[in-house]
Amino acid sequence: MEIGLHHFVTLASLLFVIGLVGVLVRRNTLVIYMCLEMMLSAATLALVAFSRYNNTMDGAIFVFFIITVAAAEVAVGLALIVALFRRRETVMVDELKELKH
Amino acid sequence: MNAYYSELFSFHLPEVILTGGALLVLAADLLLGKFSSEPVRRALAALLGMLAMGFAAEALSPYLRGDTSALGQLCLLGLSGLTLLLIAGTSRLRHPAEHVALTLFATVGFSLMVTANNLLLVFLAFELSSITLYILAGFDKSSPASAEAALKYFLYGSVAAAFLLFGFSLLYGLTGEIELAELGAKLSVLPASPLLVIAWIMILAGFGYKAAAAPFHLWAPDAYQGAPAPSAALIAAGSKLAGMLLLVRLFAEIGFSPLGPALQTALALLIAASLLLGNVAALVQSNFRRLLAYSAIGHAGIVLLMIGIAPADPQMAFGDVLYYLLTYGLASVGAFGVAAVLEANDARGQKLSDFAGLWQRSPFLTICLLVFILSLAGVPPLAGFFAKFNAFYDVLGSLDSAALTSSPFFWLVLLAIAMSAVALYYYLQVLKQAFIAPAEETRPLRIALPATTALLFAAAGIVLLGIFPEHFLRLLF
Repeated sequence: MEIGLHHFVTLASLLFVIGLVGVLVRRNTLVIYMCLEMMLSAATLALVAFSRYNNTMDGAIFVFFIITVAAAEVAVGLALIVALFRRRETVMVDELKELKH
Repeated sequence: MNAYYSELFSFHLPEVILTGGALLVLAADLLLGKFSSEPVRRALAALLGMLAMGFAAEALSPYLRGDTSALGQLCLLGLSGLTLLLIAGTSRLRHPAEHVALTLFATVGFSLMVTANNLLLVFLAFELSSITLYILAGFDKSSPASAEAALKYFLYGSVAAAFLLFGFSLLYGLTGEIELAELGAKLSVLPASPLLVIAWIMILAGFGYKAAAAPFHLWAPDAYQGAPAPSAALIAAGSKLAGMLLLVRLFAEIGFSPLGPALQTALALLIAASLLLGNVAALVQSNFRRLLAYSAIGHAGIVLLMIGIAPADPQMAFGDVLYYLLTYGLASVGAFGVAAVLEANDARGQKLSDFAGLWQRSPFLTICLLVFILSLAGVPPLAGFFAKFNAFYDVLGSLDSAALTSSPFFWLVLLAIAMSAVALYYYLQVLKQAFIAPAEETRPLRIALPATTALLFAAAGIVLLGIFPEHFLRLLF
């Protein structure tokens, strides 16, 4: 069987959906972060595949920037978790109920 | 190579100045911070930040005539400048230099968002502003509420960014282009495909988050409530203006075609949900900041209504959105400024009842609050009224007059007008507290000079934009 573009797009979509379901279902912020990363990886995979099949380099260059941005995003996210843990001693999202009217 | 880079620098001179200014603020604080007290450090950082913004505005001034995106950048600089004044005037947080520098970095992101002409730059600018805003939302390290607000803002924001990115990757896959103009040219000859619909829905979801449009609004009440007041003002004013101007550009460059009706239906659903949910939920709020957040969701509905006409007339949509969100931004920075002054005095300014007796405590602050709230409610002669009027007038004008009632946008305009009446009720609740409710606390309020300046500028801007809108609109059309 020839592996074609639609296989890559299907795999990327699947990864994206798994990540999204994880973000919605899981309660531990660290696991949610992993699922977020999976969603970004899905977009990365799709970009690389499209870049190959479109025969332009734009998509591949896009990916380098995404990796950098994702690293920055996670650094900020982890710092926020640490800041929150110092105040509240929890990383579970369902215990974050301070902000209500 | 060298010539090319220097050209690039001159095109992005405002952003270069802002970035340099942010680094300068950090360096100055590092060198001089040891020898000075916290208030001096804060004043120095804010002063340097304001200077950087002034030079950036100066670098923009040659382009103001004939280039509306430069005007958009200038408005963003103005809103961020007011935020800096609020930091200098009301904030008691540690690390003032970092606070100012991050605000400058966020402004660089906003500025790039308005001028981006390439999917990669769109994504980078979107993320630069988002990531700095997450930090700013959690900047109060002593407060659990601030950390919680930042985390929620971060989680929703990251999901939105992932949606946006996946949508972009599909657009790139369909066309092989990342330059917006070429992308639009290639898309206009493509047949409608399910992939294209998915791509656009994902991009709309990403921007729906930036605009705090329902159903992507869940972060807004928490972020507005928990973030330090200057950060919340920046999230409410600058971030929204930049995000929506970017969406207008995307629609203008890429266009709805070839899937006009499907996308219009999706947009209409977003608008209806935002108008209804925002205005109805705001009715029951007892927290001032949550009330502002829900009213912001309602305003997002009206802004998306204007964006709906972007493919037909991009220039008009850009002008309308800019005028609307500038007046909205001035009013919300002002409203957060009033809350910040209260918090700086009493350590509380969150609940509506904290505003009781404000008139006895500080007539100046109360008059400012009156201007901001009435402008948000859309009462003439303030700018909020003309912005709304302009929006409804242009949206109705862009519809086909023969088949007026068959367009969803006609009914949405009616809904928006009806909801403006609902909104008047909850806005007047705030004013009732400030003017009529008996004071629990009668100590006069002390307002620092930078905060006074910020409030004065915001109120004067709203009044002038309302009485003489033609001077501003002439620059746009």
